[in-house]
Amino acid sequence: MLHTKIVDYKKDKILTSNAEKFIKDSMFGASIYFLGTVRSINDNKKVIGITYDSHDEMVIKSFEKIYNEADQKLDIKDKAVFIEHAKGHLKLGEISIIIAVACKHRDQAYVLSRYIIEEIKKRSPIWKKEHYENKKVNG
Amino acid sequence: MKIKLELFGASRDFSDKDHLELDIKDKASIDDLRNEIIKYIDKNFQGNEDFIKVVKSSAFCSENNEIISDNYKITKNQKIGIIPPIGGG
Repeated sequence: MLHTKIVDYKKDKILTSNAEKFIKDSMFGASIYFLGTVRSINDNKKVIGITYDSHDEMVIKSFEKIYNEADQKLDIKDKAVFIEHAKGHLKLGEISIIIAVACKHRDQAYVLSRYIIEEIKKRSPIWKKEHYENKKVNG
Repeated sequence: MKIKLELFGASRDFSDKDHLELDIKDKASIDDLRNEIIKYIDKNFQGNEDFIKVVKSSAFCSENNEIISDNYKITKNQKIGIIPPIGGG
């Protein structure tokens, strides 16, 4: 069971409550919520926000591919996975990505959550531009 | 032949719009397209080295949202996306 979405921050926000509704099921005994958030310091520079850009169709395709690969590589058949990534300008502390997974056992949930975030970082066409206090940007 | 090049990531700095319109020869390859973009940068941004670096390190995707190889031939007016190296999450 998979949910994927690119969330345009001009109109919407990523909400953990949506993820909770999606993955909640009494057949699963372990749930993990991974959140990526905008932090205030990077490379000793004071960050004031990040703008995310994405090729939406390719990103969704990559999420589906990663989910299907998890079936084969990790052999975790019963699972619920909720993935949303932000697009647009985010302020400090706002959620850029949520990966919520539910599996029968905790070992599976930890492995699956980690696998998904690492593969997204490597493969999904998402770009970020950091905004610093001194107005410079790094994309 | 006219193509619409959709801009993403660092390549968005190439224009105020979200795409470029480029004239390329029939059956141009992705390598030819890359050279056309570099010509555009030479003309409009005095050969900005950072921009050229982005073009050289980018992949391209088709209308079907598939990454296409450098020897892919563009045979009709179509939409192509430039995919700079990834750095999100």
